[in-house]
Amino acid sequence: MNWRAIRAIVLRDLRLVVRAKAVMVPLIIVPVLFFVLFPAVAVIGVRAGGDAIEELRPLLEVLPIEITRTLGPGPLERQILVYLLEYQFATFFLIVPLMVCAVIAADSFAGEKERRTLEALLYSPTSDRELYLAKLLGPWLAAIAVSVLGWLLYAILVNVLAAGDVGRPVAISVLWMLVLGWLGPAVGALAISVLVVVSARVRGFQEAYQLGGVIVLPVVALVVGQLVGAVVLDTRLAVVLGAVVWLIAAAVLLAASRGFRRERLLRQV
Amino acid sequence: MIAAPVLEASGLGRTFGEVVALHDVTFRVPAGQVIGLLGHNGAGKTTTIRLLNGLLAATTGGARTLGHDPWREGPAVRAATGVLTETPSLDDRMSAREAMAFWAELWGVPRAEVRSRVDELLGRFDLAGRADDRIGGYSRGMRQRLALARTLIHDPPVLFLDEPTAALDPIASIGVRDLVRSLAVGRDRTILICTHNLAEAQELCDRVIILRRGRVIADGTPAEVANSASLPTRVELEVDPQHAETGLRIARDASGSSASDLGDGRIGVEGLGRDAVPGLVAELVAAGASVYRVTPAQPTLEDAYVALYGEAES
Repeated sequence: MNWRAIRAIVLRDLRLVVRAKAVMVPLIIVPVLFFVLFPAVAVIGVRAGGDAIEELRPLLEVLPIEITRTLGPGPLERQILVYLLEYQFATFFLIVPLMVCAVIAADSFAGEKERRTLEALLYSPTSDRELYLAKLLGPWLAAIAVSVLGWLLYAILVNVLAAGDVGRPVAISVLWMLVLGWLGPAVGALAISVLVVVSARVRGFQEAYQLGGVIVLPVVALVVGQLVGAVVLDTRLAVVLGAVVWLIAAAVLLAASRGFRRERLLRQV
Repeated sequence: MIAAPVLEASGLGRTFGEVVALHDVTFRVPAGQVIGLLGHNGAGKTTTIRLLNGLLAATTGGARTLGHDPWREGPAVRAATGVLTETPSLDDRMSAREAMAFWAELWGVPRAEVRSRVDELLGRFDLAGRADDRIGGYSRGMRQRLALARTLIHDPPVLFLDEPTAALDPIASIGVRDLVRSLAVGRDRTILICTHNLAEAQELCDRVIILRRGRVIADGTPAEVANSASLPTRVELEVDPQHAETGLRIARDASGSSASDLGDGRIGVEGLGRDAVPGLVAELVAAGASVYRVTPAQPTLEDAYVALYGEAES
């Protein structure tokens, strides 16, 4: 493997992303919403909810007993906060690696075609496999970096904001480590795999990003499912779901790699 | 011992579905030669470059670049070649310096040499003053110079230049042509140029190959190719003025009615076969005319190109 060339392509792709407003805007807005704004609103809202907080009680009543136990004793307000910050935001968190990967992969694959910069890359001394790997690694590594930074921000914020209410650390748990190191990267890989397939069939970044946006639907389903009590993302589900998503992503990426041949890519030049 | 060719095509062919892009193309290019690949759009020029760099597989025959099979050993071949693509393939969001540093990394230029190599090339291609500006603000000529500089970042022994002056204004074209000429000097570098510009090919190339619908219809030095087409020779004769009328009559008899009186004993003869010139002169002398000057107008590569394409069509 020509790792120096792979590294060069990854760094160049990331540098280009940072300079594209259309790419950077969602990359900044979405993590700020999910890691800062929404958690802050949740903490402040629950705290200021007064009697209205009672309306959230059914949310806890449908939870499995093993989850309820982890919420600990105490007032409803505390239990709601622990549930939201420990469990509900773990599902929101998945949207971030997914979105980061989708945006950067759309720019890296379809954007390269749109800017007509692909041909020079095809004449580089890399193999098809090295080129493919470089194109996959860029968005994926960026997603992991944004996720880790976002989690740090989130963990500091919620533990400072809600320390007096919950009385224990939140978002620093096995579940969060699994989301951060196992399920999140898997979801990111799945997003890239979808964007690789989509980008081969579209003309430019916007089209790829819009079409690739459908990948957010399974995560939205998980978020809504958890809100209505149909499913709870606990450690067991995170492990299983991660394995399933990794398998799907690997299968799609392997299938898509057959299309990532210089001969085929030349048709898009 | 005969040195191995740097570029070699043996019965090379490539089809895209029903379309024959290249058919039975054979040539050998030794080190240091500047070779022009000429032909209309779709003649197979870019396909040849892609085959020689392992971007496409041959349907029939084979190719070798620096002794390697480009399809099986693509990375090794591309490590030793530089390709100027038809469009510059530059990202507007990068500066020239960043882009060059990126290409240096990609081609494995030793890290300690990257900075000096980038600076040297940016200076040589007259881009040093704008090296840190975004490429998006560059003129077409600057982009083309930068793309050309990119092909040299790893100092390759083989260069492929696909339409190096296409879409450039005349001044920028002259600048790029001068740069191309300088690339061939002082290094045993082999350069393959694809161009529509026949004057450019005549000026820059040691040898030209004309492709038509994927087939080679001429191969040789520009002069050989120009002479290979059965072109009518244009000749200007100068005889003593008192024999001008006799000379005009003899010239017309020899060449139909295309001889004309240019004054002061000068006679222009069009459409005369090259082999008929000595006979015409002999007849003039036999008629008592003193022949002071016979100036054949050499057919240009452009004349030959048009004629060869016409012959191939018919």
